[in-house]
Amino acid sequence: MNQRPPRKRKPRRKVKYLLAGGSMLAIVGVLVDLRNVFQPPTAQDVCQEIVQSQSVLSRDELSRLLNVPERDSKTAVREIVSEPYCTLPDVEIREGVTAEREAYPLAFDPQTWFVVLYEGEEYAGYSFVFQQ
Amino acid sequence: MQATRLYFSSRGVLAVLLLICAGCARAGDVAPRALQIQQNWQLQPGSEIAGHRILGGLGDVSIAPSGGKVYAPFDGKVEPHRDDCVVFSSPEVPAYLLRLCGVRRPKLGQVRQGEAIASAKSLQFAALRRQPDGKWAMVEPSTDVLERTLN
Repeated sequence: MNQRPPRKRKPRRKVKYLLAGGSMLAIVGVLVDLRNVFQPPTAQDVCQEIVQSQSVLSRDELSRLLNVPERDSKTAVREIVSEPYCTLPDVEIREGVTAEREAYPLAFDPQTWFVVLYEGEEYAGYSFVFQQ
Repeated sequence: MQATRLYFSSRGVLAVLLLICAGCARAGDVAPRALQIQQNWQLQPGSEIAGHRILGGLGDVSIAPSGGKVYAPFDGKVEPHRDDCVVFSSPEVPAYLLRLCGVRRPKLGQVRQGEAIASAKSLQFAALRRQPDGKWAMVEPSTDVLERTLN
């Protein structure tokens, strides 16, 4: 009975496969940023309740809002803007203080939303959410 | 044979280095975030006393995360701050920032809610609220935001 000696794999070929696989991984790693693959949610996704679907913020309203200092009253903001497009879920960042959030799309750039945060009757601040 | 092996191993090392550098470039894209804190206490995380490093100061909540991980409490952004501190901000939560110190291997840039953003054995957690003069005041963080950051 003839027994073949076990075939020896050529180490050089193995190294080649490893290098090829490694190179492919390197290319994928360099070209693909997974953070861009999984897009963040849009502003509409974070809405809890639509209040006024036609609500937008004009340039004039925005410039007046940006001049309202933090800690001013909620009424001071309400005098400038009408009802928001939507409300976001209430959130508590500071112990014992519930924050309300409202969002307004910009009339001149609907992809950008102005989000305002109130704590009780106090205006705490704003930010812009950019839709992807 | 020896020369061939050396050639391939050096190419392998080069490929690994390229991968590492690609990762470094992405992390390096995020510029450090400077903060002007209203409570100008002398001792801050990163300060030193007689050669001993201060891990947390007044206003920081010291936590030992049981899983050793820190998570994004909202969709937002992680920016380097100084030493082993990062700043977390979210456009969904205006007027607030979180300063997280004692973190290792932070994931800088845009992150999703619930995503692991760093490791920490001893986390120094500070919640900061924006003031009308542009400074940031330390406030007591809610248990809700702490839970979001730890689970």
